[in-house]
Amino acid sequence: MINGFNKEKLDFKNRRFLLFYVAMFLLILYYIYRLVMIQIVQGDYYLALADENRISVVREQSTRGIIYDRNGVVLARNVPTYDIVIIPAELPADDGDVQEIYRVLSAKLDIPVNNGEINNETVRLYSECGTDFGITQIVYIANSLTPYGETGIVCDVPEQKAMEIQELSVNMPGVGVRVNSIREYPTGYNTSEVVGFLGPIPGGIADEMEARGFILNKDKYGYAGVESSLQNLLSGKNGRRVVEVDVAGLEMRDLEPPLNPVPGYNIKLTIDVRLQEVARAALLDTMAFYNRVNIEGMLTEDGAAIAMNPQTGEVLALVSEPTFENNRMTRYIPAYYYQQLSIDQSKPLLNHVTQVAQPPGSVFKIVTGIGAINEKVVDPDFLVHCPGRMFVQNSYSPNDPGSQQEYVCHLRTGHGGVDYIHALAWSCNLYFNKVGGGYQNEVPNGLGIDLLAQYSHALGYGEVSGIELTGEEMGMVPTRTWKRVNRGESWATGDTYLASMGQGYISSSPLQVLGSFVTVANSGVHVKPTVIREVLDERGNVVLPFTPTMLWDITKDPKIMIFDEDGLETGEYKTVDPYVIDLTRQGLRMVPQPGGTAEEAFAGDTHQSSAKTGTAEYCDDIANEKGLCQFGNWPSHAWTAAYAPYDNPEIAVVVFMYNGKEGAYTAGYPTRRIVDNYFLLKEYDMERQGETTSPLAP
Amino acid sequence: MRKEFWRNFDFWLYGDVVILCVFGIVMIQSALAGNLEVSVNSQILYVGIGLVLIMVLTLIDYHYLESLANLMYFGIIILLFALRIFGEATFGSARWLDLGFVSIQPSEFAKTILIIRLAKYFSDNWNNKHDMRWIMKSFLLTFGIVLFVLLQPNLSTSIVLMVLWFSMLWVSKVEMKYLMILGIVGMVFLIILTVWIFVSPDTVPFIQGYQLGRLQTFFSDSTDETARYGDKYNVDQAVISLGSGKLFGQGYGNGTQVQLRFLKVRHTDFIFSALGQEFGFVGTIVVILLLLFVVLRCLRAARLAPDMFGALICYGVATLFFFQMVVNIGVNLQVLPVTGLTLPFVSYGGSSTLALTVAIGLVESVAARQEKKEEIV
Repeated sequence: MINGFNKEKLDFKNRRFLLFYVAMFLLILYYIYRLVMIQIVQGDYYLALADENRISVVREQSTRGIIYDRNGVVLARNVPTYDIVIIPAELPADDGDVQEIYRVLSAKLDIPVNNGEINNETVRLYSECGTDFGITQIVYIANSLTPYGETGIVCDVPEQKAMEIQELSVNMPGVGVRVNSIREYPTGYNTSEVVGFLGPIPGGIADEMEARGFILNKDKYGYAGVESSLQNLLSGKNGRRVVEVDVAGLEMRDLEPPLNPVPGYNIKLTIDVRLQEVARAALLDTMAFYNRVNIEGMLTEDGAAIAMNPQTGEVLALVSEPTFENNRMTRYIPAYYYQQLSIDQSKPLLNHVTQVAQPPGSVFKIVTGIGAINEKVVDPDFLVHCPGRMFVQNSYSPNDPGSQQEYVCHLRTGHGGVDYIHALAWSCNLYFNKVGGGYQNEVPNGLGIDLLAQYSHALGYGEVSGIELTGEEMGMVPTRTWKRVNRGESWATGDTYLASMGQGYISSSPLQVLGSFVTVANSGVHVKPTVIREVLDERGNVVLPFTPTMLWDITKDPKIMIFDEDGLETGEYKTVDPYVIDLTRQGLRMVPQPGGTAEEAFAGDTHQSSAKTGTAEYCDDIANEKGLCQFGNWPSHAWTAAYAPYDNPEIAVVVFMYNGKEGAYTAGYPTRRIVDNYFLLKEYDMERQGETTSPLAP
Repeated sequence: MRKEFWRNFDFWLYGDVVILCVFGIVMIQSALAGNLEVSVNSQILYVGIGLVLIMVLTLIDYHYLESLANLMYFGIIILLFALRIFGEATFGSARWLDLGFVSIQPSEFAKTILIIRLAKYFSDNWNNKHDMRWIMKSFLLTFGIVLFVLLQPNLSTSIVLMVLWFSMLWVSKVEMKYLMILGIVGMVFLIILTVWIFVSPDTVPFIQGYQLGRLQTFFSDSTDETARYGDKYNVDQAVISLGSGKLFGQGYGNGTQVQLRFLKVRHTDFIFSALGQEFGFVGTIVVILLLLFVVLRCLRAARLAPDMFGALICYGVATLFFFQMVVNIGVNLQVLPVTGLTLPFVSYGGSSTLALTVAIGLVESVAARQEKKEEIV
């Protein structure tokens, strides 16, 4: 057709052409190999990644239950905090309008429109509510991350500001107010040790909590008090929705039926916040008084008080002094404050009622007494001679001649002949030494440590009480084996003497001391102490009504193991004779009366109170550091336990004062005050609500 | 004559292109997934025009193009030059020429024109001495266009153009020693460029920051895993899309990566991944085979071409197709850095579709004029 064209042909048999084909073939083969790897071999892996892209689990926070006292006073509640948020995708399309919105927010909220530079480094460091960026920069980042999500511009603004923005937001599309909830404790410090505080979910259980639907950086976890022990009741259950989202985070549809959040249960505690205030004031006032009058300087600022209805086990007041201020830890836990609490010698983070064990001293004598009388070591009327001081051969075995050791009564002139009731009333040390450990021919066979331990446990010493507060301290009831293993020594007669009056190796928490007195007050019934009055659902319906729990009755349930003549366990158990308890009650009734050790603290008592004082010598690290542990002149803790009225006890109180010196005074006076105020409150409530309702009920 | 003429028309090639174009439209429709900036209708229009254009070009004797070759060559250079001055910049480079009613990308047409111009040069000078001077002349011819494409800047099209030049040189019986020399010069150039990039990336001409970024993301594995933007995210999502399609795919319009828009630029650069998720391994293999068939039919046309000019045009078009296909799929398979080259006929793009149909039109024109030896003898 057209001439002059090169009619030569491309040589397809050329080696270079062959190379071209081979290269082509190999490349395609390699691509097919890659496709097989990606689509067939690793298909499931990539499908999982694709699902990870599109499937999002949305958790809706539930609300934590409210905590009330027994009369409905709010002890812990949730209050709103406000964040100003922007949803980038909903901002107006017009840039001018957006700028106008930024200017309004900037003026109202005191945040710059533009601040900071966007680059890889600053974007990585960006965190919501913790940034110096201006609004423009925050929205820019939010728009690339979650355009349909709310992003906080300013967090935790005052309610007034939030309301203003809320009103303005009608004309500012994309701007909103997010309401968060934080915990508030209206009664604050006064109920801190009972209520506790919240903190972040601890790392150790993070996985488990996450599996149960908690949001790790958002949900809180109880750290003390009932916030901790009733965490599962209070926390409720977060809602869960599995949704499909697009790349912008817009929810497309539910992939599974959504689960709505279940609010936590509300808890009504047994605490009466008025009596709680009285108990704390009683402790603090007494401390202040003795700190001022004590010539050797400050005596103590560390104490505990607990008041309980012995018939039901309801704890009406539980004070551990000093404690922490839970309202300071609601938003976050300030590091310096927590540090300060941790290093304080008085250990404010521990509950001194349940979590600290100390030698109980003379308040323990009821155990020795009940044991000795029940085991018929001596007849209750038998007069044991108290010379004021005595020397005893301290032997480690029957054949060990031992060494002479002096034992003294707190009344150095001696009580003379003492029977069981007066031994309790006067708190005669030598009486209990003798009936506990035996003394020459006067008391040939003492109760002995093995039986003492049996009666200790029967009255609640060395046992977990089961109160709904975590980390309960079990205290210590020593045995022969324990001493041999831990001290490398055999049990000595002297150890029994010390144990008989609540000294030596014996230690117990104030709650356990209370437990033993409650058992006596109840004529043998040992109840489980509780802080929970009722569990209510979110509408206020009672889901768990209050029922008192009797743990055992020592006059009916055989709790005391019987030993044979050789001191070997027989495996058989017996009960305590009711008349023994009755005698003990009579003895304790005499303590607040003229001549008794609590005579002064209970002067003019009109509530038929019974009591027992205790002054327990101790030597711990703190006392050692101060050089207080001088032989024969150890420092001492003050104890007083009381219950009233005699016939049908309805209030039982224990006060413990660390380094309080004289139990009858530093612990006795606060005890008296708590008992008196209990009856005052009861009278007041009856007057107010008519006498048909039961005392203290709402 | 008419009847005989259409007998030599390559219906296989044409049919293959039609299938690819229709499949492309179908896939684009799915890949849009709420992207309102792009309309599938314009693609349908361009495909319609393109398919008619192939017929029209078949009727025109490709030999007329030889006389038009220089005109087209300088025409495209002027167009590219105009782009330097009036072009609107998108994504950091000026590639689009707004003609009022339609925007075109001259660089897409530059590929087709370069094929024609180089085919003319090599067939005209086939019998001249293949010395360095001869080679350099062809290089300067190529570089005339490449320079302006580089200035846009458009590195990937520049590479395509250079590849076209080299492929012509490859089959032109140039002595091995010259190819070796060119190879060494090319290597030295690349090494100097690499060193330059490492020493001071900001002063390198013709290369933009984002291009360096693409190379860096390709050669490094450490990136912010949570980033929802950037090339690394895009290519990762492309592989996830491909893989999650498994053997038979998630079904048309049901690909989660595509429909929920985790896969970016899914109607152009990553349409292969999009179809991979919706049609699976079966789909990707079929598309590869269809594209490969285009290349093989072009090479067949080259073999049967009546003269060197026609043969080189067909060979050039085959190279163009193969190279674009390999590079585009390579990006999707994460064996090559992100380039922006389209998947022939399948990807969305008016200029690309038109330029490629023109190329196919040329091949058909050559094929229609093939020598039927068996009939002559």
